Amino acid sequence: MSEIEKYIAPEEVAEAVEALGTGGVTIVAGGTDLTPQINEGRCHYEPTLMNIQRIEELNRISLTDGEIRIGCLATVSEIWYNDIIIEHADILCQTANCFASDQIRNAATIGGNICNASPAGDMIIPLLVLGASVELASWKEGAMEIRREPLDKFFKGPGKTIRNENELLVAVIFDKPSADFIGQFRKSGPRPALEISTVTVGIGGDLKDGKLENVRVAFGAVGPTPLRGKATEVALEGQILTEDIISNAAAAAQKDASPIDDIRATTWYRNHLIAVFTEELLNNVC
Amino acid sequence: MSVKTELDFTLNGRPVNIEVPVDMTVLNLLRDALDMKGTKYACGEGECGACTIEVDGTTINSCLMMAVDLQDREVMTIEGMQTGHMLHPMQQSFVDHGAVQCGFCMPGMIVQANYLVKKNPDLTREEMKRGLEGNVCRCTGYTKVLDAVAAVVGAKG
Amino acid sequence: MSEQVAFQHIEKTSLIGKRIKKPDAPAKAMGKTRYINDMVLPQMLYGKILHAGRPHAEIISIDTSEAENLAGVHLVITAKDTPELRLGFVKDNAPLKDRVRCERDEVAAVAAESEAIAAAAIKLIKVDYKDLPGVFTVEDSQKKDAPVIQEHFPDNKSLKFEFKHGDLAEAEAKSDIILDDVFNVHLVTHCCMGTSCAIADFDHNGKLTIYSQTQYPYNYKMDLAPALGIDAGDIRVIQPPTGGSFGAKLDVYPFEPVAAILAQKTGRPVKILFDREEEFINSPTRQPASMHLRSGCTSDGILTFRAADVVMDNGAYTSWGATVPVIMMRTTSGHYRVPVVDFKGQAYYTNNSYAGSFRGYGNVQMTYATAQHMDMFAERLAKDHDLDPIEFRLKNAQKSGEVTPQKSYLRECALAECLTTAAEASDYVAKLNKYAAEREQKGRYKHGIGLASSIHNAGGAKIHKSDGCGTILKMDDYARVTVITGASEIGQGIDAVIGQIVAEELGVPPEHVTLVNNDSDLGPWDVGVHASRTTFIAGNGARRAAIKAKKQILAAASKQANVTAEELDLRGGYVVQDKDGAVVTRLDKMLRQMHFQPEPDVVMVSDYYEPNSEPEGRDHISDHSAAYSHAVHIAEVVVDTLTGEVKVEKVTMAQDVGRVINRMGLEAQMEGGLAFGLGFALSEEMIFEEGRLKNPNFRDYKVPTAPEMPDLDIHFIESDCEEGPYGAKGIAELPTIVIAPAIANAVYNATGIRFFNPPMTPEKVARAIWEKKNS
Repeated sequence: MSEIEKYIAPEEVAEAVEALGTGGVTIVAGGTDLTPQINEGRCHYEPTLMNIQRIEELNRISLTDGEIRIGCLATVSEIWYNDIIIEHADILCQTANCFASDQIRNAATIGGNICNASPAGDMIIPLLVLGASVELASWKEGAMEIRREPLDKFFKGPGKTIRNENELLVAVIFDKPSADFIGQFRKSGPRPALEISTVTVGIGGDLKDGKLENVRVAFGAVGPTPLRGKATEVALEGQILTEDIISNAAAAAQKDASPIDDIRATTWYRNHLIAVFTEELLNNVC
Repeated sequence: MSVKTELDFTLNGRPVNIEVPVDMTVLNLLRDALDMKGTKYACGEGECGACTIEVDGTTINSCLMMAVDLQDREVMTIEGMQTGHMLHPMQQSFVDHGAVQCGFCMPGMIVQANYLVKKNPDLTREEMKRGLEGNVCRCTGYTKVLDAVAAVVGAKG
Repeated sequence: MSEQVAFQHIEKTSLIGKRIKKPDAPAKAMGKTRYINDMVLPQMLYGKILHAGRPHAEIISIDTSEAENLAGVHLVITAKDTPELRLGFVKDNAPLKDRVRCERDEVAAVAAESEAIAAAAIKLIKVDYKDLPGVFTVEDSQKKDAPVIQEHFPDNKSLKFEFKHGDLAEAEAKSDIILDDVFNVHLVTHCCMGTSCAIADFDHNGKLTIYSQTQYPYNYKMDLAPALGIDAGDIRVIQPPTGGSFGAKLDVYPFEPVAAILAQKTGRPVKILFDREEEFINSPTRQPASMHLRSGCTSDGILTFRAADVVMDNGAYTSWGATVPVIMMRTTSGHYRVPVVDFKGQAYYTNNSYAGSFRGYGNVQMTYATAQHMDMFAERLAKDHDLDPIEFRLKNAQKSGEVTPQKSYLRECALAECLTTAAEASDYVAKLNKYAAEREQKGRYKHGIGLASSIHNAGGAKIHKSDGCGTILKMDDYARVTVITGASEIGQGIDAVIGQIVAEELGVPPEHVTLVNNDSDLGPWDVGVHASRTTFIAGNGARRAAIKAKKQILAAASKQANVTAEELDLRGGYVVQDKDGAVVTRLDKMLRQMHFQPEPDVVMVSDYYEPNSEPEGRDHISDHSAAYSHAVHIAEVVVDTLTGEVKVEKVTMAQDVGRVINRMGLEAQMEGGLAFGLGFALSEEMIFEEGRLKNPNFRDYKVPTAPEMPDLDIHFIESDCEEGPYGAKGIAELPTIVIAPAIANAVYNATGIRFFNPPMTPEKVARAIWEKKNS
């Protein structure tokens, strides 16, 4: 049995980051992933339990200088009902609508969803489509140091990221999408939300004069991490969404994906769905 | 044993001061430490909603939340809904519409239904279904639950 | 007061058919109800079981020393401590095992001062296993060199059932159409919201009080006693409120005697409560079955025969689950008029988990097959012989007074009315033809409509020599009634129904009736909540007891009022003149007068109601239920042909309920029963790999949630069952039984594909559609 020797609940980011620097810290926020993982023995408590929920500045959502910043403690519900997000990044709202249940949306934080690094982590998909980066804060020589990393470079495997143990993911940031931006998200059912995704697809880009530009595509639950659909992006970039282009994109999506068989779905079904969803989203757009 | 910490919060309108192990969940705090057994354990991982409570006016699964995070917060459990011996209108509606069978999921279901109606007094039946998606009931097939919530919404409208 | 009302008249009114609230609902809605899961007894210890977690192994050694030395641990036990104790339907199971036959097997158990200590202690027990080759399919179980799972059953054969009626060869020769298909029904589990729990407590005389979720309290004593080596008379069963049951609590499971053994040896009360994962792995399932069904019919649409060869995976131990062919064969021989029947059922031991009883009891399985064969006949006959699909079914629908080959006597049969009511209400035939025509047209979303029906026992099921229920009724000096009944309350609402029936007879408000039914030391015998029997059997018993009480009161009143008892009635808390309702006296006053007269008389009556049915014999030829009932479901679905998602939009249900007693409770049973069948049809499936359950959680075992529920259009057909209370029949299983094949038939109508192996998950449906398109 792992035992917690110390409990801290800092109110300032710097305090939290400094504590992380000493090592042996378990971070808890909404608890929606941590608690079941502890119960199932999939992870163990470090000697220090740090509750970061009291750091007020970490749940803010802001738009400054063309940049949208979501603090790591913003819950899925808060994101869904935030005016900035509703106006500029509706794809996040679409995803929130498909996320778990009301009670979990009220507790689950965006930072937790990212750091848990599940290949099926729903909120990661729209953020990849939005070209988001994460801010990682660490304690260096008596001061806080922050590095920014693009989200599509953040994941290394199921539950694994490039975040060092001494780093706190403080925010996720993306450029305010242009007025022409369209973003679409799709998740497998049949339940509307209370499902661990077997496949998720997100597609976004600027739709100008019928052409899709600056395309970003992301897939969930079809590889060891949530991933960018690079071949699909190439198939779509600068194109008018004709029937041919859409079916090319669907074929490219299957190349981008490398799904596995598990109890939730076979490789066949995941490959099948990824094409179906890619086509469906592109048809929604045009 | 994990280290303990002192905790102050408000439970159903009354202050609570208690020392808790820091790895304790809110559900265990309520059920085991405070003997508030109205809130139920049924899955322990946020998939069934039987342990739903309100914290600072928002519903959460108490099996997933750490007790230490209740510091300075206001908690409402199923036991906090009634006034004296009078059932809350949502509780009464569940009784009147036959929504209670074995009843095990009902505390969580009623707390969640009440939250949904508070948040949106014009709730539609489809929105009710979505709002109750995280509350599993094995007896009723949900129909009478939705009737009960609809009656409260109708009464308000 | 009494002087003023002396001139009042009280009209005769009836509670029957009204909406009666469940008396225990307010406390449950307020969170006040203390379920067994919530109970803590003074000095109570917490028990925890070490399960094998492997399917087949020898136990070489068990080292419990570290667990025993953990602070707070009182006792650790293994099979060595319980050598002779047996349990189960054929006594092939034991509280603790000396050899592992399935993942669930109980290897050791601890009693400790807290749940956390007990859980920690379990992890300290070291077991040295020698894994053995496992048997995970019925096919492997039958192989000549298959590993033997139970020493007393060297051929791995468990229970066997057979029923034959008529000349099969002749019937086949007469048949113009013969269908021949294999249906495989998968593993599902009850998922009671309250996880399994037992609290055992011995007194100084060695008498066990066990707080249990059983739905079968009196037989439970008999089943539990051999697992403890004590006399059944020394067991008292208390049934605190329980979080669902649905058949799961008909068998005794090893954790219950384990709790009792721990309590016996420690001298302290011991509670065992499962967490959800333990619940999934160690609970009963619905009996899985492979059903090879052959059905014949003439070109005129007359059924000629049914032959069913059912092979069942018994799992490692024989439970009530493996007895489901008793009901399966009633469906084979009684679901429509079947002149020739050949039924075979055989269960084989494997190293898989084992079943239990489950709402629908064999009929969920068999109706999935027979109702699809009926639909396949209907389609062929419509196409080739222009026979209307409802007309075809009506031709074969039994009528009142018919007797099935197994001698089920269908005294009041409303199948035809169920068929026409549901078909008209849903515009079935027009939609069926329209959707079939649209099937091959372009379009991603396809609509489908499907009809299924079935028959089920509705007046108990006499699987024991007696299928009766005892009732004790007393009235106090304030006209409050206490009913002590053998019938258990597991959430289904017998509390409301008995209150309603007794209030109806005694002319008192239902709130003035208190039900006592949770203590085997108080209650008279009953054979449990199962077989849709409780309203019928316990309801009849309560009514008969109330009528006795009423007679006693009216006899006393008639002396006082100088009229005959027949001229009096009880209404609204008064004794009144039957003809005009003129008040004679207040009921409470009357009861006090009886009590305090020179020859004192208090109302205390009892009744043992035995239904008019015959025991199920070895030949399976008997009228084993006092009533039978039918239901028809018509499901309307939309199939996403790309994702394979099946959305059930609406279900029209028509069921012969005999007579509506508590309308609200009846609707609730229909809706909840349907939800069970919906999950079985579409989403619920226990996924086993080599005997190990891979989805022991609500994430991956998907019970229906609110958004998945269809709109329901419920029609109650009242056939007025002569034997039932006020004409009522038992109702609670048919809604679960009929819906799955209705959905399967609707999916066929939408896609042209038959799903012989439920559940119809999105992947399975999508794959079948894709393969059909690309073949």
